Amino acid sequence: MPTTRPSPRLTAGVVLAGLLVAAGCARKGGCTGDYCGTLVIAAAGEPDILLPPVSEFAITRDVTEQLFLKLADLGLSGNTIGDEDFQPLLAERWEWDTPTTLVFHLDPRARWQDGHAVTAADVAFTYDIYTDSLVSSPFRSSLRQIAAVTTRDSLTVVFRFRHRYPEMFYDAVYHMRILPSHLLREVPRSQWRSAAFGRAPVGDGPYRFVAWRAGESLELAADSTFFLGRPHLRRLIWRFTPDQQVAVTQLIAGDADGVEVLITPDNVQRVQADTQLATYPYKGAAYGYVSFNLAAPGDTTKPHTLFGDRELRRALVMAVDRDGLVRNVFGDLAKVPPGPMSQLFWIWDPETRELPHDSARAARTLTRLGWIDSNGDGTRDRDSLPLAFRLLVPTTSAVRRQYARLLQEQFRTLGIDVQLDEVDFSLFNERARTGRFDALINVWNTDPTPSSGIPQTWTRAGFGRSNYGRYENPAFERLVDRAVASAANRAEAKRTWRAAIETLNQDAPAIFLFATENVAAVHKRVADVRIRPDSWLALVRTWRIPADRLADRDRVGR
Amino acid sequence: MAAWLVRRLAAAIAIVWAVVTLTFIIVHLAHGSPCGQPDGRPISPETCAELIRRFGLDRPLWIQYIKYLGALLHGDLGESLALHRSVAAALADALPNTFTLALAALVIDFALGLALGIYQAVRERRLGDIALGNAALFVNSMPTFWLGLVLLLVFGERLGWFPVGGLRNLVLCPRVDSLPCLADFAWHLTLPALTLGLVGAAGTARYQRAAMLEVVRQDYVRTARAKGLPERRVVLVHALRNALLPLITLFGLTFPFLLTGAVLVETVFAWPGMGRLAVTAILQRDYPIVTAAALVASVMVVLGNLLADTLYGVADPRIRVRPT
Repeated sequence: MPTTRPSPRLTAGVVLAGLLVAAGCARKGGCTGDYCGTLVIAAAGEPDILLPPVSEFAITRDVTEQLFLKLADLGLSGNTIGDEDFQPLLAERWEWDTPTTLVFHLDPRARWQDGHAVTAADVAFTYDIYTDSLVSSPFRSSLRQIAAVTTRDSLTVVFRFRHRYPEMFYDAVYHMRILPSHLLREVPRSQWRSAAFGRAPVGDGPYRFVAWRAGESLELAADSTFFLGRPHLRRLIWRFTPDQQVAVTQLIAGDADGVEVLITPDNVQRVQADTQLATYPYKGAAYGYVSFNLAAPGDTTKPHTLFGDRELRRALVMAVDRDGLVRNVFGDLAKVPPGPMSQLFWIWDPETRELPHDSARAARTLTRLGWIDSNGDGTRDRDSLPLAFRLLVPTTSAVRRQYARLLQEQFRTLGIDVQLDEVDFSLFNERARTGRFDALINVWNTDPTPSSGIPQTWTRAGFGRSNYGRYENPAFERLVDRAVASAANRAEAKRTWRAAIETLNQDAPAIFLFATENVAAVHKRVADVRIRPDSWLALVRTWRIPADRLADRDRVGR
Repeated sequence: MAAWLVRRLAAAIAIVWAVVTLTFIIVHLAHGSPCGQPDGRPISPETCAELIRRFGLDRPLWIQYIKYLGALLHGDLGESLALHRSVAAALADALPNTFTLALAALVIDFALGLALGIYQAVRERRLGDIALGNAALFVNSMPTFWLGLVLLLVFGERLGWFPVGGLRNLVLCPRVDSLPCLADFAWHLTLPALTLGLVGAAGTARYQRAAMLEVVRQDYVRTARAKGLPERRVVLVHALRNALLPLITLFGLTFPFLLTGAVLVETVFAWPGMGRLAVTAILQRDYPIVTAAALVASVMVVLGNLLADTLYGVADPRIRVRPT
């Protein structure tokens, strides 16, 4: 009887189809109930090291938030003044022994994931690390008002401050994540930035470290014995992507369950059109602005030929239709800030006095200052000097490039010639830092409080650091000092901050363009999603996937 | 042969040294500072200053170079400025992924290129030859990143037939330790490998067609036909064997090209290989990683050439090196 052999082509096709089917049904498990679920987060970038004192990457913060606890953390109100709005974490309670002595009592149930108890010695060790010049933590300057941290007994730790000020409690708890001294004491201080612990950490948080595949992903698993309550989501996986746009694409394709921010109105529309996904708006931590360089580019001893003139800067601010720009670029995803602030700041006050958008007045001012188009070439000039400057923007930011073009056009209609310097991000940073620019479009991501960012960026203390435009005004600095150091309560601090911001606005050292409104996206099967604006995954341990919404991948066993 | 090999190796070392030196100088002279986060946010000026001090970036370039070369001679590629780990460890994680991608692309490139080239040569100047020739020219003219984006958009995002990025299903297959997970890995590999492989295949097909056309006109092929051998045997055994010689050279050059060409494809498909590592390092001015990536790429090119020359000698006794 003749036999027929299957053709090689058919065999290959069947094998390939079989493999693809197998790929789709790999490793299904049987987890059921309230504590299953895997959240895959698509993130732009990758942590550098999982050691909180030596990293200030936003993605590192998101991961270490789940591994290492603070003594207490900011509440949903975002109030950084006093201690009433803070939530206990490692510290079950605290009290003020004197106006400058703060005593924390640690929760005796707290344990490191290797079984050791979390003690007051860990807190003192952590403070020592954060303030050690050899470790050189970026948070060191935020702790400068704390004179000492000592232990009273194994569960009691005492913070002594140099003087009394409104955000003492915030400074004591917000910047430091407590570290295991028994595992890190032997690491030489000069080698903290490359410590092996930072790639396989042992924490005390709701999740424990599982695996970090460089360039690809990072996985944490819920600690079922976590003393503040077992997290509902059993696994968190970060999938690293080259940029935020790829992250959004992966979310829409179903390869991820959540992204921190959708960035553009177009992405928001795409996600909202997907019935599987839900969007969550929250206040953004970023604000963007055009900074005028008040000093000559590359020579801080001389004023800038254009921007050294306060009246000219005021005219330029009034020439710009900031509301129109925000609508054009962001739609509803940003607001025009009333000064140098993100929406996160509690000092945000729409009543703050600013220079209005009034292009006619701007034109009159320029003419009064002698800037007229004497040769009919469309650009104003004075004493043969054209009213022209270069605007520095990084090529990596589509938003800033778009703003630059729109600004260029708005200025052109007023007879001001703006040429764009589009450079890569590293070069942008270097030129900003060394003052080699006329004007630049910068974005800052802020802490929840104005007390650190504003002095660093808009006072003399920021010269050579974050105050790229070298703005200074003693009256403004006095008001900032008063708001930071001596306001008696939140209302007084807010009044003082408003006076300070109004002073700065009148000097027009910058054009404050936008303060972002973030929109996160999370798969709809995830319930109880609450987002704290300063750290979007801060409350992820309370997110859950109800049993009736579990997908195959939520049930996977290990 | 041994003397030839020694000479070639010495030349190879000199070439690699020159590439590394040039890369070192160029990346250090390029403006910019290593003070940014991967997501484009700047790090604080204090941290930046500490970074520059700690890695000696404030010292004269020639001192940095001598220090780097000294370490390199001891097999130390240095420490990454941004990753807080050794460059060797970062490369060890990334290189296998790039090799896998390049190898898969190479298989597609040569399998498809050979098949198309042979088919076109056999059907010279007929409709199939002309149509495939134009199609190959069209694909060959495409930038790989653009083709990748198109494939990603159509087959990943719109049709959902393939994943839109990454190495594997992170939840179901965290490790490639079973047949389904191997299949999952192959599924993730398909689009990036096709992107790289298709463009190469279009070029290979054109080479192969030309080589075949030259060979099929030779007397020995005519003799084979006259002997009454089946056409398939004439083409695939007698003609193809000699027509493969030019492809050996192409093979030697293609593999390193695929390795370096993976840079953009890895970025488009979020494939965690050396290309993506290098791109991120360039944007962040992570000098040790950039220099190491150039070192690896130059070593691959040199080895590829060496391999091609050796294979050529093996395949064609007429040009085998004789002792002098």
